[in-house]
This record gives sequence, C-alpha cells and structure tokens, in this order.
Amino acid sequence: MFEKMVEMICQYVEVEAEDITRDSRFIEDLGFNSYDVMSMMGDAEAEFDIEIEQEEAVKCKTVGELADYFEGLAND
Amino acid sequence: MQKNIGGILYDCYPLTPAQIVHIYTLRYSPTSEIVNIGTGQYFQMKLNIAALREALNRAVERCESMRLRFWKDPETGEMWQYVVPYTNEYFEYYDFSEWEESRVEEVLNKWTSQGFDTFGGKLSRIVIVSLPNGYNGYYFNVHHSCMDSSSVIAFAKDVIEIYCSLLYGLPYPKPMASYIESVKKDLAYEGSKKQKKDEEFWHKQLDMPEPIYTDFTGPGRLIQLRRENNNPEQRWGLLTTKNGDGNTITYELDVDSTKKIMDFAKQYDLPVSVVILHAIRTVLSKFNDNETDICIRDFVSRRSTLLNKKCGGVRMHCFPLRTVVGLDETVLDSMRKIKKAQEDLFIHADYSTLKFIKEQRDKYNVGDGGAYYSVSFTYQPGTIDGIVPQLKGIGFKSRWYSSGKQPQPMYITAMHRPSDGGLNFFFGYQTDCATPEEIEFLYYFTGRVLFRSIENPDKTIKEIIDMT
Repeated sequence: MFEKMVEMICQYVEVEAEDITRDSRFIEDLGFNSYDVMSMMGDAEAEFDIEIEQEEAVKCKTVGELADYFEGLAND
Repeated sequence: MQKNIGGILYDCYPLTPAQIVHIYTLRYSPTSEIVNIGTGQYFQMKLNIAALREALNRAVERCESMRLRFWKDPETGEMWQYVVPYTNEYFEYYDFSEWEESRVEEVLNKWTSQGFDTFGGKLSRIVIVSLPNGYNGYYFNVHHSCMDSSSVIAFAKDVIEIYCSLLYGLPYPKPMASYIESVKKDLAYEGSKKQKKDEEFWHKQLDMPEPIYTDFTGPGRLIQLRRENNNPEQRWGLLTTKNGDGNTITYELDVDSTKKIMDFAKQYDLPVSVVILHAIRTVLSKFNDNETDICIRDFVSRRSTLLNKKCGGVRMHCFPLRTVVGLDETVLDSMRKIKKAQEDLFIHADYSTLKFIKEQRDKYNVGDGGAYYSVSFTYQPGTIDGIVPQLKGIGFKSRWYSSGKQPQPMYITAMHRPSDGGLNFFFGYQTDCATPEEIEFLYYFTGRVLFRSIENPDKTIKEIIDMT
C-alpha cells in the first residue's frame, strides 16, 4: 500500500518518490493543501475500492498513517 | 476523432462538463459577453514592450487552451474542441498613461463587454497597455469555456517568468502540461468507478428533504415568486433575470483585519474559505428569518494533481454547499460543519455540475433557471506577485474587469491583493436583483458577522446574529 500511495502522491506534488517516507507529513513536508488531500482521497477510494470515513482519514497526518488506514480498509 | 474543419484535419474532442456549463449559460443569455473573463496584470516599472510581446507569444505557444477552438458539426449539432497550431501574433499596444484612471477602467470594461463568436474562431484578446502612475503590462480577455480564473493566473505567471527569463537570463520556466491530456482524463471519468462513487454521494444528497432558497436581500424574492406561481409551498428561487445585466463592486479589507482572519483559520485548523463561508451563511440566515438550512454555491477549481495545476483550460465545477446549523450551535460548530460539507464536496467534485442540476430539478420539480442558492462563492488563494526575485518590491496590480453581465444573482470572490496580501472582496451581482446600497449592506453585515464570530468562537449563532 505504501508504494502505491507514493506513486499517487507523485501525481499531486513535485517531490521525488525516494524522498517520501512513512513519516512524511502531507501538508508540512510534501506541500499538499487541504483540497489536494481531499481530492487524493476521492481518487484513492476508487483506486483501492475502499470506503473512507472522512473523520478517521483526516486524522492521518503522515503518509504511513494514511497507508495503514487504507490497508486496514482494503483488508476488511 | 479527426474532423475536417475549413479544409484542415484536426484531432477533435468532445467538450467536458466544465466547459459545457458556460455554453449552457450562453444558451440562456441574450448576449455572448456573459462568459468573458477580463483581466489585467501590471507592474509599476518601465517594461520592454518587444520582450513582453515575445513573452506573450511564447506563453501562447506553450498553452494549449490559449489556442483552443470550438466547432459545431452542422449536420449533427455536436460540439467539438481542437487546438490550432501556434502562429506568431503581433499584440497591439495602447498608451493610456496620460488618461484619468476611471476613463481607462471604462475602456477596459468596454473591451471586456465585447463577446466572442464561440464557434467562429479565436477566443481571446491580449493588448499591451500603459496605465497612469507608471503601471505597464497587458490586458487579457478570454472566453470562459477556454480558461477559468486559476488558468488565467497560471498563464500570467508563465508570461512574467518568460519575460524575466528573456530579460534577466533567469532559468526558463518549466513547460505547461497538456490541456488535451486533462480533457482526455475528464472524458474517461464518464462510466468510471470514481464516477459511480461520486454519483452515490450526490444521490444521497438528493435523498434529503428539499432545501429552501435564501436570498441575499431577504425573503421578498421568494415570496414574490410564490405569488407569481400561485404556489405558497414553493421553495426554489430564480437565478436568471431578463437581461443578465450585472455590476461588480470591490471592497478592500485592510491588512490587519485580513491577518485576523488568517490567524484564526490557522489557530482552529480551518481553511480561510470556511471562515468566510460561515459569515456569508450566517448573514443569509439573519436576512431570512433565522433560517437554519442554507445553500451557497461553492466553486471548486479541481486542480489538485500536477497535470491539472499546470494544464490551463477550464476545470471548475460548482455545487451547492448545503449546511443545516441550529441557532443554538456555536460559531465553531458552524465552521466545522461547513468544513466537513466542503471536504465532501471536494472529494466528489468531479461529478458533472450540469448532471447534478438536472437531477436536482427532476427530484424537487424545480422550474427553469431555478435553484436554492442566491450566492455563489469562491476563494482564490493564489496571487502572482513575488514569483521572480527581480520584481520583488516593485508595485504590482492585478485587475478583473466587468463584462457588464452576470449569470447569477450574486457571485462573491475573495482574493488576496498582490500588493499587500490584504483580502479583496468582489461582489458581482445582477442589477435587476439588488441595488448598490443593498450590496453595501450585505458586505457590511458579512464583515460584522465575520469579526464578531472570530472574536467569539464559542458564542451561538443566535448570539452572533443578535450582536450584529
């Protein structure tokens, strides 16, 4: 899931894939704004065939946290 | 699909829903200038006109949507778009430097009121101009089916960066992305998994009880419509007026007050747009007998991926942002509800605006030109100042001109001034719907609610309404 997330993130912000770690924060480190994050979640829902609970998803501030959250949903 | 247009074969693509919205507006408007975007970008310095002309040409060459044309198949009536090859253009120059500011404004508004022939050729006009007080730059008018405001700003940035690269030897800006690629992705959305998810979301919205129209001048317009239609239960209002005549009034918020809004938004982890939307919705509630169910039309730029940020064109979709906030709920409750509703809207904003309008009309039996919002809102965070170090500290102004037409009763745009970062509020309104005094009244109360709310985030909506 983390690798797929990295691939997706690179479509949104100008950052090299190798610079993205599990601890990278979307807004502070990767330069996302709140609209980018929401838009990416919409794409992720369709891409990974999951149902995102927004309240839970917005609590995820790092790539690792969001990847784990998506992973959990995909395994349900 | 290839089409033979005027004896030349072009790769043609259907129009996207974001473009069709404007064609739809044209269909219901007596004049074509209603879809014009007129703007000007000016620096308070002497410009090298030959270099600016060259920069403009190179920017047009790099930007597919600046070379976009529309074609209507005479046999089927189907609408298509295609990109014509770049050809060098000689942009005219007008020297208004000795004119009165107001007279120049009048001329540039007049230029903006000259409509384009949508299916007949070029859909933009660029003129290099000198303004009073040492400002120089260019005026730009474009058909809204080719570009939206994000795109206009991206084009302006490109022009300035190319100009500075030509003159100061700075690195040439990275290429723009292809608009046609973005069009292809939008067209592929139809029937996709994402569309299915978005459709489920919007259909759930339509399962809610019928909303109610809240006018920015109070309940008078709805009451009158109910009388005219002999339907005391009618809940929708009208977006259109007979002639679509419009005007724009600009209000400038000072830097300190703007900072208060920005600081508050940061402190409570809220987007600035949400703080402003809260003020608008509370004023609509106040003006409409404390109605708790409010719709505002929210515009979404849909420019989150790198491709979409750099491709130009028009991608904007708009949907009603509906929130039900009780009078006993607090300012922060209201803002959090708006934030959640806006996040939902952002996630599902790829859905066709026109499709949703049609589905809403069918569901609630809304008449032609009917809707539940009187106010449309957009917040534009981007400005183009300070992008090139050589221009730091040089006076800059970005102007938006009126075509004299408005497709909706009230369109509020909040945008930061390039000169000092303060917020400008543009109130574009249909002159049949309101007087300048009513607009002043609306701005005054929006400001009062905004700052009373920021100062008292734990007060209830009822208390804020009573305080203002």
